[in-house]
Amino acid sequence: MSGPPPIAVRGLRKVFRQANSGQSVIAIDRLDLTIAPREVVSIVGQTGCGKSTFFDIMIGLDAPTEGSIRFGDKSPYADFDHFRGRIATVFQQDRLLPWRSALDNAKLPLELIGLPDAEQHERALAWLRRLGLGQFTSAFPHELSGGMRQRVAIARAFAMEPDILLADEAFGHLDEVTAVELRDTFLKLARERGSTAVLITHQLEEAIAVGDRVIVFGKPARVLADIRVAQWPAAQHGILREAIQATLQSNRPDPRLG
Amino acid sequence: MLPEEHHASLPVPIFPRQTLVSLLVFAAGWEALAHLAPLLGIPPFAVPGFITIAKRLVAVTPFDVIVTLARVVGALIVSFVLGVLLAIAMYRSDALEQYLRPMIRILMAVPVVSWILFAVLWFPGVEFRIGFVLVAVCGPVFLIDALDAMRGVPRELRQMMRSFRPTPRQFFLKLMLPAIVPSLFTSWKVNISLAIRVVTIAELVGAVTGIGHQLSVAQELFSVADVFAWTMVLVVLLFLLEALVARVESRMLRWRG
Repeated sequence: MSGPPPIAVRGLRKVFRQANSGQSVIAIDRLDLTIAPREVVSIVGQTGCGKSTFFDIMIGLDAPTEGSIRFGDKSPYADFDHFRGRIATVFQQDRLLPWRSALDNAKLPLELIGLPDAEQHERALAWLRRLGLGQFTSAFPHELSGGMRQRVAIARAFAMEPDILLADEAFGHLDEVTAVELRDTFLKLARERGSTAVLITHQLEEAIAVGDRVIVFGKPARVLADIRVAQWPAAQHGILREAIQATLQSNRPDPRLG
Repeated sequence: MLPEEHHASLPVPIFPRQTLVSLLVFAAGWEALAHLAPLLGIPPFAVPGFITIAKRLVAVTPFDVIVTLARVVGALIVSFVLGVLLAIAMYRSDALEQYLRPMIRILMAVPVVSWILFAVLWFPGVEFRIGFVLVAVCGPVFLIDALDAMRGVPRELRQMMRSFRPTPRQFFLKLMLPAIVPSLFTSWKVNISLAIRVVTIAELVGAVTGIGHQLSVAQELFSVADVFAWTMVLVVLLFLLEALVARVESRMLRWRG
């Protein structure tokens, strides 16, 4: 594969059946979406709107009930193994393996794709250094702060040199200063690497600051607005924020978003 | 420094003062009873003094200690391997778990004495009987602990691991097995104590070597001093094995801080 593939979501639906009541709950409702290669897209939506379900489907851990999601001509679910080493994820919590040092955590995906030991070591070390953790490579997760652990998680994702980077509320639980710093680092690295990046968030500021595009999800998940941030001058970001807020609250597109 | 921190920073002695005091009080009481036994109408052999016990301790045959130790360690290794392998199979197959779990619960409820009787009635070889009893008692503990630990691996870590698309073998070797190591150490500690007690009973029946056999001989000779000496050897053996496991555990689980 040369460069990241385009992502195409067509008529995606996900319906869950509740175990206790037997009732069906629609998490994603006929979602249509296209993401170009190397685009940085933030998806914003209310808590419980189906963002994380969409994230699981994008990773390939869950299958749609109807419709399709394709990365190029492949499905992340049906062609699961095809994407080994090509899709990297950063989760809300760092999800580091507590028995592995920072270096060994960063090496994990490289071990899974079977890189030679020396290359694993070199690449993981380089990314940890790049993220300012050169002095902490042998530290275990419990010896690191929340921000440092999330840096290791980011190093783990970038060490794969993936085509597609997916982040689910990856900076939401950190303090503001650390979150902004890490978010900027993440974006810089994603653009340098030329990866397609999809960031899921419930924070409007973050969504606008990060994305080339901001996609606003309704509840259940469907596209209410698809905004190209560059079309909004920085001076109008306040209005943009208010319009997205109104869209989320009313669960229908705000006229100001066009 | 807070009082708790100060307390936590103090080195823990191998034998805390309270332990030494309680042992000394017991020893003094026993020795006094040994001297007073004739006056109290107790036969002298029933409460031997420490000099008599020490003489019997010197006479302890290392061969019997080694045989018992080998039986315990060998059976624990077999139980561990079988238990963990079966736990992995049950974790991977819900159907297998649904069929086997009730059976294992029933096996765990069978008294040790029943296992010994089954072993005596079913198998001719002494070593196999003892091994069978130990594995029947310790194997299910390893199995259930390992299975429960695998079920308890956080969903978040499993999801993270799967997102990197490991092979099933990688998934087990890189996530599941390291994740259950703390539980396996707990199982080892529980099973060492269990195995030491069970092997003694198993050796009482039919064995011509081992600590259990020596206890049986001591009982036939009405030698409380020998029973005391061999029991002390068993207790020390148990403590040594537990200390060994604790040492390996602290090395392997240093990531817990």
